[in-house]
Amino acid sequence: MSLIQLDKLMKHYPMGDTMVRALDGVDLSIKSGEFVSITGHSGSGKSTLMHLLGCLDRPTSGRYMLDGQLVSHLSDRSLAQVRNRKIGFVFQTFNLIQRTSAIDNVAVPLFYGRQSNVGEKSRKALERVGLGPRATHKPSELSGGERQRVAIARAIVNEPKIILADEPTGNLDTRTGKQIMDIFHELHRAGVTVILVTHEMDVAVQAERVIRMRDGNIIDDRRVDDSTRSELLSGVMLPAVEQDPGPDRSPPPIAKPVGM
Amino acid sequence: MFFLRVCLMSFRSLFVHPLRTILATLGVIFGVAAVVAAMAILEGMSSRILGGFESLGSNKIFVMPNIERRSGRMVGSFDSLDLDDADAIGRCNAVARAMPQISNPGALVKFRSKSTNADVSGVTEVHADMNNQEMQDGEFISAANVQGSASVVVLGSKIKEELFGGRPAIDEKIKITGIRGSRTFTVIGVFAPKGNVGRSDADRQICVPITTAMDKLYGTDSVHVILAEARSPTDADIDQAKEEIAQTLRRRHKIRAGQQDDFQVQSQKDMVTQFSQVTGILKVVFYSIAGISLFVGGIGIMNIMLVAVTERTREIGVRMAMGAQRSDVLKQFLIEASVVSFFGGTIGVIVGWGLANAIETVTRLFETTTTMTSVVIALTMATTTGVISGIYPAWKASRLDPVEALRYE
Repeated sequence: MSLIQLDKLMKHYPMGDTMVRALDGVDLSIKSGEFVSITGHSGSGKSTLMHLLGCLDRPTSGRYMLDGQLVSHLSDRSLAQVRNRKIGFVFQTFNLIQRTSAIDNVAVPLFYGRQSNVGEKSRKALERVGLGPRATHKPSELSGGERQRVAIARAIVNEPKIILADEPTGNLDTRTGKQIMDIFHELHRAGVTVILVTHEMDVAVQAERVIRMRDGNIIDDRRVDDSTRSELLSGVMLPAVEQDPGPDRSPPPIAKPVGM
Repeated sequence: MFFLRVCLMSFRSLFVHPLRTILATLGVIFGVAAVVAAMAILEGMSSRILGGFESLGSNKIFVMPNIERRSGRMVGSFDSLDLDDADAIGRCNAVARAMPQISNPGALVKFRSKSTNADVSGVTEVHADMNNQEMQDGEFISAANVQGSASVVVLGSKIKEELFGGRPAIDEKIKITGIRGSRTFTVIGVFAPKGNVGRSDADRQICVPITTAMDKLYGTDSVHVILAEARSPTDADIDQAKEEIAQTLRRRHKIRAGQQDDFQVQSQKDMVTQFSQVTGILKVVFYSIAGISLFVGGIGIMNIMLVAVTERTREIGVRMAMGAQRSDVLKQFLIEASVVSFFGGTIGVIVGWGLANAIETVTRLFETTTTMTSVVIALTMATTTGVISGIYPAWKASRLDPVEALRYE
């Protein structure tokens, strides 16, 4: 059975006079333990999809089944509970609380889950990302890579089913970015479902499956192996789009979806 | 646990912007300081004055001329009581004894080149006993002194000290200046130090026979007050004595039923009640001032909380993503607002206490008393202010959309 099952998921919202179709009927199934990348340019709908997958928002229409539970129309209260128990977020800008120490940052989800043994669990999560000795440091005293590792510890402290990472290496140099990706690989090996949202194809192809989006639709969804990896990286699948990777706010040229 | 952790978290966030916290809580600090200082002063004044009343003895009844202001005009006269009234009151069945008295605060007294101001009291031989005044030296005015209008004087301990220092005063001659000019008196006694009686300092008092005071110093036939004692301090005996005194005086002054009395009769208890009413009003005034100050303080706190909510929009988004309920966010900001104002309140208590002590040291009029009650009231008011002014900002924070909040730069 799928861990995540989306049926005709739509998200429309008004912007000025027009209705923006941020998601236009997405069907998607992700199994437990998969490592999936969602990629696409700005405006492709990948952020909206991530917000919906993360239960931060509700779809305009369609169904979202998460771990056997229909979550697309839950109350704010229940959505908060789902986020707390089943989802761990990692953000591009780390989003740590500056005033408090690394270990207190890691403890935040435990705190809202009204859990006991907070100190012990937080310390273990920090040790898992190799930051045990830095527990009492404030975010301002840590390097970018270390901050992101604190954020990952915070995401995994509640032992969620899913890690949702939004451009986790976007603010890091290549070497540090690789270290962070290694942690995701480790979590994946340990059985956690990892969903990575990124516009960088060389990051995306490190997952076992790459989903490409454009204009609110999935245009490509494939397993990554040696041949598809080089295709994805070279951009031969969608030459007009993939020649210039990176944030691009101009409307994407029309291209036929492939592989759906 | 949740509550404690939020309190701790809020407490830490106070020190992220210490100056901002102090400025925002200034209103609360002043409000609380005002309450604590005012209450300490009021409490100190009350216990001094009430203590003074008590030292008089609780079976005392004061008979005074009745003077009222009616639409701006004085009604009644200052000279409705005389020595014969005092004798008549003394003969009442319910009255143990009575004493007429005239008093003149701040009269000039001189011994050779030294001079000072004293409260001159014209009294009879029972004065020392009625006011529980002990003699330190010499003796008190006798009945013969009163009958013979003798020019003798008994000095309060401070006056003796000021005029004579360490030297003996008995049999020395001093000059007292009254309306009729300066007269020479022989010192026959010195009181032991006593402190306050009623509203005046007994140690600055000098006593002369009332007849002498009336004839030689002030040239008057009337007395200022007649001090009477009921047979016992029970309410029944005091009321009976008051009634009998009133009837005696009405008869003597030929006041018909329905006519306005030209005198008033008050027991010590009546005066304490009146005083309590006055302090009660003062308390209301002080609490109102504090209330206004706290209201302003509340606006300050609301302001800083609104700033905090805007500033921490992204943090709120992150907390929501981590599973914070809207109610958690609400509680968190409410608790933070109360912690801020409680903190301000605590500083206010310290400032108020310091202020009261400073006033005590500078004026030396009375001992201030900071009571636990006023501290608890002030802190409760401060914390309530915090909660009330935190409601809107906290509600605003809790209604944020997690997606929007996470996007906030």
